Amino acid sequence: MYNNILGVFILVIKVDNLTKRYGNLIALDHFNLEVNQGEIFGLLGPNGSGKTTAINCILSLLKYDKGTVEIFNKPMAPDAYDIKKDIGLVMQNVAIFDELTVYENVDYFCGLYIKDRNHRRELVEQAIDFVSIGYYKDFYPKKLSGGLLRRLNIACGIAHQPKLIILDEPTVAVDPQSRSNILEGIQRLNKAGATILYTSHYMEEVEQICTRIAIMDKGRIIATGTKEQLKAMISSGEKIRVELFDMDDNILQDLKKLPHIVSVEYEDNFLIVKSSRGKNNLLAVLDYLKSNNIAFGKIYSEPPTLNDVFLEITGKELRD
Amino acid sequence: MFLHNYIYRLKCIVRDRELMYWTLFFPIILATFFNLAFANLSEAEKFAPINIAVVDNKEYQKNAPFQRVLKSLSTTSDDKDEEGIFNIRYTTKEEGDKLLNDKEIEGYIYCDNGIKLVIKESGLNQTILKNFIDEFKQTSSTVETIMEHNPESMHSGLLDRIGHRTNFLKEVAPSKSSPDTVVNYFYTLIAMACMYGGFWGLKEVTAIQPNLSPQGARINVAPIHRFKVVIVCILAAISVQLFEIILLLAYLTLVLKISFGNQIGYIILTCIVGTITGVTYGAFISSIIKEEGLKIGALIGSSMTMSFLAGMMYDKMKYIISTRAPILGYVNPVNLITDCFYSLYYYDTNSRFFTNIVILCVFIAIFSLCTYLVLRRQRYASL
Repeated sequence: MYNNILGVFILVIKVDNLTKRYGNLIALDHFNLEVNQGEIFGLLGPNGSGKTTAINCILSLLKYDKGTVEIFNKPMAPDAYDIKKDIGLVMQNVAIFDELTVYENVDYFCGLYIKDRNHRRELVEQAIDFVSIGYYKDFYPKKLSGGLLRRLNIACGIAHQPKLIILDEPTVAVDPQSRSNILEGIQRLNKAGATILYTSHYMEEVEQICTRIAIMDKGRIIATGTKEQLKAMISSGEKIRVELFDMDDNILQDLKKLPHIVSVEYEDNFLIVKSSRGKNNLLAVLDYLKSNNIAFGKIYSEPPTLNDVFLEITGKELRD
Repeated sequence: MFLHNYIYRLKCIVRDRELMYWTLFFPIILATFFNLAFANLSEAEKFAPINIAVVDNKEYQKNAPFQRVLKSLSTTSDDKDEEGIFNIRYTTKEEGDKLLNDKEIEGYIYCDNGIKLVIKESGLNQTILKNFIDEFKQTSSTVETIMEHNPESMHSGLLDRIGHRTNFLKEVAPSKSSPDTVVNYFYTLIAMACMYGGFWGLKEVTAIQPNLSPQGARINVAPIHRFKVVIVCILAAISVQLFEIILLLAYLTLVLKISFGNQIGYIILTCIVGTITGVTYGAFISSIIKEEGLKIGALIGSSMTMSFLAGMMYDKMKYIISTRAPILGYVNPVNLITDCFYSLYYYDTNSRFFTNIVILCVFIAIFSLCTYLVLRRQRYASL
């Protein structure tokens, strides 16, 4: 968050040149990260890109070969309890005890941070209400759906009202309704003052909620910025998709000759035309199709996505 | 914080139905089956009166001394101090033959120019019967000879001396309790149950290790010293396991009537030390083996092997190990726990008991130290 009084950003997480190797595999390759107070910072990357490894190193759960990690301007270490008390963790795997009820699970994990029983009771109730699982308070986890389990997982991580919340792919295998609930919840936590570090391989989620995004691949940050800044980094702009049932190479060659065209492809009955950044070719493409009496169906015009950013930088799809 | 953690760890343990079955109900069920199986074994070792018949003819009626002796050895004897060794039926010779053919009696006695024995098979009961008759005949003959040649000597106590038998062997009890081959099975069972406490140690270490469970990762991110959590978890595991062992002990002593001797304090001490050994053993296994299935397999496999070597499946095994490979007995916690109960039951002195307790304490120290050395790592190479 930009500090209005001093006019500076307050760093919550600062990672410098973090390097982590598993034998010959470099899981984190001089990984750098700065998360400011009040941000929802998204760490976006395909599976295996090193997001979870980075989180585990930041939290001092994993050894790393090189680099430094500071949280709240202090070096992070396994025994840095004054830092840990202000961190909440929501892991990719649901980290709860099957033998405890929903309420007991939240109370147990909250109790690792909050000693006062009355205060803790209030916090637990708030956390349960926050993720809307009050009805299931006395249920055992085995009776809950996947989405409810994820919500419980979040409640366990945030009940002590930490200043920094790290969420590692919290929406994996979650139904759309629960996903929407979780994403809204994260935004509400942020509005309540928490800084969020959010990892995901779903670009739509990251685009929806994150104020800044870092794109990761093969253990490295390959781009950082707001979603607008990231999209501005690539050469392609608007993407036009036109449904065509008859196609020949001449059409592709002719369209490529139009001005400001970056690429023309035909895939699954759709003609895909990408334009240069800031340029619009929709009318020119339609004029060409009409003047050549080429029948076409549906037409879509899409702005570039983070997947396009990833594709242009790495040469592969984010989903690969 | 301690109480909060302790209570929740107790809840996690007690509500784990699967492990509750293996650590509590399985030993109780096994004990019940042992009891059913060994009850018949004990019955077989008891002496049962021998069924015989006596042909009640004129010659028998004339032989008053023989009648008196037979009556004194009969189960219908008036002498309450002596248990009768013969169940006697008085029959005719034909009835005696029939009873013998129908195997309702082991043999029958009839008097016809002397005392005669009729049997159909050979065996222990028939041998006892024959020895009795031979001895009666020999004594009667001796008395008759003395009466014939030197009747005065009968009045100077010779008759008493004839009937008296001097035993030149003195029976010295090797232990304060009567030998019972069955009790060792139950001692190994309770020792095995102690080692099954390893399941709780295993569960607790898994729950708090970030490289073994996501819950462990979450706990390790909390601002609480790892070893405080470890100690609370192990204490909770020991509490539950000790309660289960006491329940098992109560079931064995009160329901199945298995004797553990009367040194209650030392019996409880054995349960406590055995329980701690089991729990720390499980914690040790859990800390050195990462794969879930493998660590459970290692715990069950090693516990069962130790139980086998302590004599749970074969009662002679304990003896074989102690004579041929005694070192195996000293490095086997199940054997040491079993031997604690065994020595409390059999021996007057407690030196053997305390030796076992000290060795078990050494095991506890080794398991705890190894677990500590593994758990003290604060960061992991991989999760």
